[in-house]
Amino acid sequence: MKTFRLRIVSPDQVVYDGDVEFVQFMGMDGSYGILANHAPLMTATRPGPLRVRTADGETTMVVTDGFAEMSGNVLTIAAEAGERADEIDVARARAAEQKARDLLANRASLAAEDALKAEDALRRAMVRQLVGQRTGGSADRG
Amino acid sequence: MANIKELRGRIKSVSNIAKITKAMEMVASMKLRKVQNRALSHGPYTRTLYGIMEHLARHVGQDAGRPLFQTREVKTIGVLLVTSDRGLCGAYNANVTAQVTRLARQLEAEGKGIKLKFYVIGRKGYTWLGRRGYEVVRFYAEPTLDQLDFKMARIASDDLVSAFLAGEVDRVVVMSTAFRTASRFEPTTVPFLPLSSLTPEHDTSFAASGHGDADSKAALNYLLEPDVESMFDAIVPKYLQTVVFDSMLESLASEMASRRMAMKGATDAASRMGKELRKKYNRARQESITKELLDIVGGASAVS
Repeated sequence: MKTFRLRIVSPDQVVYDGDVEFVQFMGMDGSYGILANHAPLMTATRPGPLRVRTADGETTMVVTDGFAEMSGNVLTIAAEAGERADEIDVARARAAEQKARDLLANRASLAAEDALKAEDALRRAMVRQLVGQRTGGSADRG
Repeated sequence: MANIKELRGRIKSVSNIAKITKAMEMVASMKLRKVQNRALSHGPYTRTLYGIMEHLARHVGQDAGRPLFQTREVKTIGVLLVTSDRGLCGAYNANVTAQVTRLARQLEAEGKGIKLKFYVIGRKGYTWLGRRGYEVVRFYAEPTLDQLDFKMARIASDDLVSAFLAGEVDRVVVMSTAFRTASRFEPTTVPFLPLSSLTPEHDTSFAASGHGDADSKAALNYLLEPDVESMFDAIVPKYLQTVVFDSMLESLASEMASRRMAMKGATDAASRMGKELRKKYNRARQESITKELLDIVGGASAVS
C-alpha cells in the first residue's frame, strides 16, 4: 500500500514522525480520513482520537486543538498537545474531567470565557479517557 | 606593617567576589541549558506553525481584507520590549534598549510626530523606559519571564492585537534578542502587526527543516476546510502568540548566555586581581621579614 509521511508536533516535542498508510483525525467540521496522495488540504483540528495505520498495524493517539496541513504527500499536524495512547495518564484525565465538571456545575457564576475553557478541558479529558481505556492505557499509573 | 594587613583584607574580599561570580556563572549556564532544551523541543512546533501560516497567507493572497493584514498610515508604533528582570548580565539590556533609542531618534529626525507606545516584559526595560519618560502601556510582571509560561505570551499578544484593532497603535514591532549560539546573540526588531509582511526569515527556516518539497508546491490549490475565515480565526492568534513566546524564549536564553559570559569575565578578572595582590602581599611580607632579620643581626653585632 502507498504510504505518506505523518508529522505530529506539539509545543513540547515531536510526537510522531514516520511513514503511514492511513490517518484519521478530528477536524473542525468532522472526521477526516487521509490516504497517500491526498489533495493539498488545510484545516483546524479539534480534540479527538487520531488513528494511524502503518504497515505494522494500527495505533491510536490523542491530539487536541491544532492545525493540519496536507501538502506534498506530507501530513503535518501542529497541535497543542499530542500523546500516544500508551502515554495517556487516565487517572489524571479523570481528575481533570472531575475538575471541569465541578466548574461547570455552577455555570451561572462563570464568565462566558471561563465556561468555554472548562468545556474545552472537559472535552480533552473525555477524549483522553476514551482513547486511554480503549487501548488499555496505564490506568494504574497515577 | 599596616600595609600587609590591608593587603590580606583585599585578597580575601577579592576571592570572595570571585566565589560569588563563579557561582552565578554556573547557575546561569545551568539555566541556559534548561532554556536551550526548551527552545529545542519547541522549535519544530514553531516552524510548523509558521509554515502553515505562510502557506495559508500565500494561498489567499496577502490582503484578503482581514483587519490584521491591513497596513495603514502610521501615527503610533507599539513596541513589545523584552528585557531581563535582573541585572548583572553584561550589555544584554543595554543592547536591547539601544534599539529603542535608535528608533526614537530616527522618528524624531523624520519629524512626522510618530509616537511610541510600549508593552514591556522584564523589569529592567520597564525601569529604563520609566526613567526616560516613555509611555508604557503595560508591564507584564506576572508570571515572571523565567517561568516561560505560555500564558504570558498569550496575554501580551492578545493585548497587542486588540490595541491594533482599536486603532491605538498602527504598527507593532517586537524588540528582543535573537539567540544564535551560546556566545552570539543579537538585538533584533521584528515586525509583528500588521501581518502583511510575513518575514521571509520564517519561510527559509521552515524550508530548511526538510519541507523544501512542500514549499515549492505551496502555490497549488489547498482545500481549506471549513473555509478561509475560520481557518484564519483559528490560526492567527495562535501564530502571534507563538511569535511572542518565541521571542521570550530566545531572549531568556540570550540573557542567560550573556550573564554567563559577564560572570566568567568577572571571575577571570577577580582571579587575576587576586594573583596580583598575592604577589604584592608576598613581597611586602618578605620585605618585613628581611627588615626584622637585619634589625636582629644589627642588634646582635652591637651587643657583642
